[in-house]
Amino acid sequence: MFEFKFADIGEGIHEGKILKWMVKVGDKVKDGDSLFLVETDKVNAEIPSPTKGEIVELIGEEGDTIHVGDVVVKIDDGSEGANTEKEAVGEGEEKSAGVVGELSVSSQIIEASNENHTEEVMEQTTKVLATPVARKLAKDLNIDISIVKGTGPAGRVLKEDIYRRKEELNKKGKGFKEAPANPSIEERVPLSMLRKTIAKNMVLSKSVIPHAAAMDEIDVTDLVAFREESKETALNEGIKLTYMPFIMKALTLTLKEYPFFNGSYDDEKQEMILKKYYNIGIATDTSDGLIVPIVKDVDKKGIFQIAKEVVKLSDAARNKALNIEELQNGTITITNYGAVGAASGIPVIKHPEVAILGIGKITKKPVVLNGEIIIRDIMAITLCIDHRVIDGGDAGRFLSKFKEYLSNPMLLILS
Amino acid sequence: MALMNILNTVNHTLDHEMERDNTLVVYGEDVGYEGGVFRATVGLQKKYGKDRCFDSPLAEAGIVGSAIGMAINGLKPVVEIQFSGFILPAMNQIIAHAARMRNRSRGRFSLPMVIRAPYGGGIRALEHHSESLEAIFAHIPGLKVVIPSTPYDTKGLLLAAIRDPDPVIFLEPKRIYRAFKQEVPEEDYIIPIGKAKVIKEGRDITVVTYGAMVPQVQEAVKQLEKEGISVELIDLRTISPLDKETIIKSVQKTGRFAAVHEAVKSFSVAAELISTVNEGAFLYLEAPPTRITGFDITIPLPRGEHHFLISPEKIIKKIKEVVEF
Repeated sequence: MFEFKFADIGEGIHEGKILKWMVKVGDKVKDGDSLFLVETDKVNAEIPSPTKGEIVELIGEEGDTIHVGDVVVKIDDGSEGANTEKEAVGEGEEKSAGVVGELSVSSQIIEASNENHTEEVMEQTTKVLATPVARKLAKDLNIDISIVKGTGPAGRVLKEDIYRRKEELNKKGKGFKEAPANPSIEERVPLSMLRKTIAKNMVLSKSVIPHAAAMDEIDVTDLVAFREESKETALNEGIKLTYMPFIMKALTLTLKEYPFFNGSYDDEKQEMILKKYYNIGIATDTSDGLIVPIVKDVDKKGIFQIAKEVVKLSDAARNKALNIEELQNGTITITNYGAVGAASGIPVIKHPEVAILGIGKITKKPVVLNGEIIIRDIMAITLCIDHRVIDGGDAGRFLSKFKEYLSNPMLLILS
Repeated sequence: MALMNILNTVNHTLDHEMERDNTLVVYGEDVGYEGGVFRATVGLQKKYGKDRCFDSPLAEAGIVGSAIGMAINGLKPVVEIQFSGFILPAMNQIIAHAARMRNRSRGRFSLPMVIRAPYGGGIRALEHHSESLEAIFAHIPGLKVVIPSTPYDTKGLLLAAIRDPDPVIFLEPKRIYRAFKQEVPEEDYIIPIGKAKVIKEGRDITVVTYGAMVPQVQEAVKQLEKEGISVELIDLRTISPLDKETIIKSVQKTGRFAAVHEAVKSFSVAAELISTVNEGAFLYLEAPPTRITGFDITIPLPRGEHHFLISPEKIIKKIKEVVEF
């Protein structure tokens, strides 16, 4: 039981008049809820409850005069006995006058003052002097201001210094790494424009297209032999013959039989756009990042011509000499990770296309043919499909057909 | 060395100085017989008599006006205004006379006097009992404004204020009057007026505060340090004259700045601090200097007061914004 006493008002006031009860018996009150309005010589004040509980008794009527120390309200706060002080004041301490508010009272001991004993423990870091406008510019241009040499008064970094830094970086080009001012175990390298575009496209492809992959191994022993035979002839024509033109030819022939793989998917209208032309993108590894130039109308071109175009386009890609048309209107893509030594992979479809063919490295492997183990040239391939429009069954059939063409170069030539 | 809270320390310090210097007089509303509503002057009348510690009429202009007269005639009055919110009737005496006497007399007279007043909210008090008026005094040339935040500082700063040849407004953070205790040396020591204290060194941001906000900011800093944000915390101690050197030096090191006080935002101490930072550390800034203050309103009555007060959470949020800018 909490007995609420009309508190010592101080300020020379020792009594007050209850103007109005603001609670009645049985009311539940919270800490801070007003109990009654009291009038004194100086103020009319709402007296807040110092505790939470249920009102048990109101002592006195409205208009009654109450004196300091009188019990005015009894509140059942769950405690036993008559509790009159919310917070015990430490022994020997004077208590403040009542209406001055509620001071938090604690005997918590804070650390002794370290006056005159402060230690200097900070490592000294060098701060860059710069105006906000220079800092903003550095941020916008992805320049680490801490390594820009300032030419202003007292080494202040000026806007011009930031621009100069940018120029220097542009000249140095890719691969140049900023030496951090304070050698650190981490470094932040801003992405190039191309890298940002790749990142954006990859996120689009992977977040929009539900990928599925079908994988197989193709016995390309005959193709390897055929290429060996043709190499010389090609060279006479000035052509470095790779496997790529054969793969493209085989792909085109297969696409003609499975038109759903050659096109794009219009998500909005939920329509498949089937392309009647065969423009094959060749994923090209350049020092700046992945670029996909397009060989147009592959179906209308012979192996040699395709070979020439692939070489021309990939050279152009590496020298940043591609025209914008040479990057547009692809219908399907081939990525040859075998060229960098990988046996297999799972490529990412180039949005909005619906399929991509991944080519692994050709290796000699022991295989069983007609009940005998023999050594053959084997190429692992992966076909990734947009599972919204193409199913695994289609992919499997597609791959078998493709396999048939690629393992039989004569068929490629004759078709 | 005794453990004392801020109130005990005020009492102890007045006692200490009244014993040492018999020109010291202490008075104000309820200060004598009652020992003050907070009991800051308890026992002094009994010990030093009614001539040196006494009750004044309820007339703040009279309290300050008479103190000016005493000071000019060789006494050292240390008067109490019961709450800083009650000081307004004395503003004419303070601004028009106390602050100007040295200038008016062309340096022939100065007023060695201290006006003590509990300030600030957080104790669920009535109207006029929770004001933070430090910026108003700090704006007046000729006044010094001092605010302690610990018992140790209270003694050193109050002694410095009493021995200062000019009027000092000594604002006491009543919210933390009894909130904690600290070792306070028995012997005499001075903490110079006009010198801030670097409570804690740090790398990422300079936070300046004073008075009752110091423990709130310390609490916030504890949390921030756990999250890897290194805060340099400065207790201003003296609002005017401002210790610009310490603040500028700190911001030149950290590159970021926040000021915390309970007083309202506009035209505030925080505004002056930010100007100081811009003038002295502009080229070092990595984020806009910011202020964490009360709203531009009259401090609410008890029931709404918590909306106004500055919690460690508010401080943490704002400091993170600055550090992550």
